[in-house]
Amino acid sequence: MKDKRSFFTELEEINEHDDSALDMLRPRIILAAALIIGFAVLIFCRLWFLQISNSDEYINKAYNNRVRISTLAAPRGHILDRNGIPLVTNRPSFNVLLIREDSKNDEHLLKKLAGVLDVDVSQLWERIREASNIPLHIPIRLQEDIDWQTLAYLENHNHEFSGIRIEVTPRRVYHFGDLAAHVIGYLGSISKEELKKQSGGEYDGGDQVGKMGLEKLRDEVLRGEKGMSYSEVNARGFEQQLLKREDPLPGSEIHLTIDAKMQQMAEEMMNGEEKSGAVVVLEVNSGRVLTFASTPPVRLQEFIGGISQQNWNAYLNNIKTPLLNKTVQGLYPPGSTYKMITALAGLDNGIITPETAFYCPGYYRLGRRIYRCWKHSGHGAVDLKRAIAESCDVYFYQVGQQVGVDILAEYAKKFGLGQKTGMEIENEQDGLIPTRKWKRQRYNEKWHEGETLSIAIGQGFNLVTPLQMAVMTSMIANGGKNYRPQMVEKIIGPDGNIVEEIKPELIYELTGLEESLALIREGMVEVVHGKRGTARIARVEGLTIGGKTGTAQVVKIAVYKNMKEEDIPYKFRDHAWFTCFAPAENPEIAVTVLVEHGLHGSSGAAPIARAVLKTYFEDRLTREGQEKEK
Amino acid sequence: MHFDWAFFLFLMLLCGMALFNLYSASYPPKGWGSPPYLKQSYLFLMGFTAVLFILSFDYNELHIWNYPFYLFIIVLLVAAYFMGESAGGAQRWIDLGFFRLQPSEPAKLMLVVTLASYYSRKEVLDGYSIKQLITPIVLTAIPFLLILMQPDLGTALMLGIIFVSMTVFVKLRRSTYLILGGSGLFAVLFAWQKLLKPYQKQRVQTFLNPENDPMGHGYQVMQSKIAVGSGGKFGKGYLEGTQGHLHFLPERHTDFAFSVWCEEWGFFGSLFFLGVYFLLLLWGLRVAMYAKDRFGMLLAYGVVMLIFWQALINILMILGLLPVVGIPLPLVSYGGSSLLTTLMALGILMNVRMRRFQPGRGNHQEDA
Repeated sequence: MKDKRSFFTELEEINEHDDSALDMLRPRIILAAALIIGFAVLIFCRLWFLQISNSDEYINKAYNNRVRISTLAAPRGHILDRNGIPLVTNRPSFNVLLIREDSKNDEHLLKKLAGVLDVDVSQLWERIREASNIPLHIPIRLQEDIDWQTLAYLENHNHEFSGIRIEVTPRRVYHFGDLAAHVIGYLGSISKEELKKQSGGEYDGGDQVGKMGLEKLRDEVLRGEKGMSYSEVNARGFEQQLLKREDPLPGSEIHLTIDAKMQQMAEEMMNGEEKSGAVVVLEVNSGRVLTFASTPPVRLQEFIGGISQQNWNAYLNNIKTPLLNKTVQGLYPPGSTYKMITALAGLDNGIITPETAFYCPGYYRLGRRIYRCWKHSGHGAVDLKRAIAESCDVYFYQVGQQVGVDILAEYAKKFGLGQKTGMEIENEQDGLIPTRKWKRQRYNEKWHEGETLSIAIGQGFNLVTPLQMAVMTSMIANGGKNYRPQMVEKIIGPDGNIVEEIKPELIYELTGLEESLALIREGMVEVVHGKRGTARIARVEGLTIGGKTGTAQVVKIAVYKNMKEEDIPYKFRDHAWFTCFAPAENPEIAVTVLVEHGLHGSSGAAPIARAVLKTYFEDRLTREGQEKEK
Repeated sequence: MHFDWAFFLFLMLLCGMALFNLYSASYPPKGWGSPPYLKQSYLFLMGFTAVLFILSFDYNELHIWNYPFYLFIIVLLVAAYFMGESAGGAQRWIDLGFFRLQPSEPAKLMLVVTLASYYSRKEVLDGYSIKQLITPIVLTAIPFLLILMQPDLGTALMLGIIFVSMTVFVKLRRSTYLILGGSGLFAVLFAWQKLLKPYQKQRVQTFLNPENDPMGHGYQVMQSKIAVGSGGKFGKGYLEGTQGHLHFLPERHTDFAFSVWCEEWGFFGSLFFLGVYFLLLLWGLRVAMYAKDRFGMLLAYGVVMLIFWQALINILMILGLLPVVGIPLPLVSYGGSSLLTTLMALGILMNVRMRRFQPGRGNHQEDA
């Protein structure tokens, strides 16, 4: 081929020029070498910068890259009753977390996850939006408390869910349902304000904290200490191995003074007839609370993981106000239960003696006004004992009128009415015990004599809480000792040691009233055991009870005066009180029952007290019963 | 025999370290296929066989074989475009059954040989005019455009860099420099405005500010920097690197293989590795220096530049000094086509070295 020949001829020509041509190019090779060395120096400097002078920064970054620090929720302390029966404990619950930093395909992932969790995608997005200002590596809870099947599916298919992790957290178990719901309270996610308020950084966003009751008041001891887990994760966010784990320290146990059985009986009795109100049982010689019920209860289950707006509205609109803890927040006129105060004031001030008798024709006239006795036919001549037993209004009108409102108030306050008891509980109300001075300050009006009559029988401006009434009853029963009502017996740490033990606290003791109080107690025993006592319904075989019924007027509208009770609208019906102590010979407990719009203390409230008393004395009663049988 | 044993042993040392590193970088192996380091080992064997084969010919034979090779590569590139295997939106591979060939890799070597051959045959002592450069420009432009269409911007740019390196090496007229420089600048501006795909622009922009896009393109650069930087003075130890093994480092056995080395061996380990690497390149330049003819010199120089630029771009990328472009570190990154091409290129270099004393062109019998 001609071409090929000339091609080689060409090559030969080149070779002839070789030396000079090569000499010309050799300096350029030196330049190339210089270029290579120059870049080598650049690389050297860069390596020095990265690996020597800045290595700490990158070592740190590499560590943060691979180590995911997560907090381990501490099991919250249990809550037990006085006999060690658990009321609230925990169970493990599984939450689905999303770590946005590790998640590669949000849209697709969430769609798939929504299917698995059986929720709407928008709901998951909502959770993510809520966390929009939280750093990406902090997990977001997408769903709480998933069931076992869902958990198993997610665990088995974890490679399909990048950035999705499962978190195990303890969740509250309520062994007795809503028992003592107002006392125990519920948990909720910590709010932004609560987060800001904390001092020691013990809470993180998303933490569950007590929102009501003891869960709130004793959050500090219940919550325990969080643990930490340091695990190595890969770039997809899957945990490779656990590097270090600091176990959480469980919260302390709270032993209540409450007796679950009595509490249960009280709530069942109240709820059984859908009664709205409160039952308080105190140990008269210590102030320990045995029962502290407010009905209707809040449904604790509904509060786990945040209550729905719908349920919340239902609570708000319920005329029986379940959200109100009626034991300390409910304010009611004490009604006839106040008559003990009037009687005491009369006795102590020498206005009456046990023998002093007043005639009751069924009414009492003061000036131009007529004040009626509840028994329109009248009681005839009544002495103190009978006045209490039959709750004669006319007797107390006269005692009250002679004592005067200010002295009545003085005695009411001595017995704890109209002021906070100082119990460890939220939102305790003061109530109101009126005086002349109070009326002038409050209304800028003169006190009318007639008002004293109303006050003397526990109506009018008087407002007390069921707890105050229970304290008053205790003081009558124990001879005048005011103990601070106490609901927490002791707190036991996770190691079994007692963290805190709460001893009964005697706040003050009234002296010089022993005789008067004994008389009052006699009268109260008559209420239950007397022939014409108003609370014979409360009798328990083999037990002597001293009690007092009360009816607290809600309105004084004449329209309803002559109507049948069933025809009066619920909200205008009178409240029913019954407060008592037992055994009368040597009082141990005081029981106070208030039934809102329960009409009569005897029929509305006394049976509940009776049931609670029976529960408390159960063992002894059966023993006596057995002895009887022998 | 003038076989350069020192160079060969140096090369073996480098390849050994690379393979050793690849074991770590692809550990634990995923999937059921043979692990990358094993595959790469076979390819090393294949490559060294090819080196021996290349050594058995005189490099001047390449003058003859060059154009058939050139056409063959062009056909492969066209074939890759039309029937190639798609990966990540690009058509780069031809599946040969036992081996997935990426024709753009041998195209780089082919261009080195083509330009060396052209510039040694058409020697212009007083400097090339722009007219005389039209043939090499066209010869470069054809594979350049074919690779750009795949699209593989990194490899296409590599061809441009090879062209510039080799063309600037031979003597050009001053006017030619100006025209080339001017049109080059124009081409870059034009390409940025009209040719670059948004994702390619994104990469460049991301490089300028990687923190803007920590989960996207900046992620790779950041993770690579973390890997290298966290290696510190002495490294985390072999197989102890966390960045790679926990998959924070993407493409850790291909383009980012050297990051794994830096993480596990630290500053001094990296220096040692790069020392060997750069000495090999400088040794290659020495081969060019003492080549007996212009073709040999251009070949040796071209091969060194081919490896050097790729290595430089890859290392600067790993160290966060350049945007992420798909350029492997020759001999170190996992990938058969690149490895075979590099070893063949080094075979040619060794060939030039062996025949530095032989006058005249290739003689088949001499080596046989």
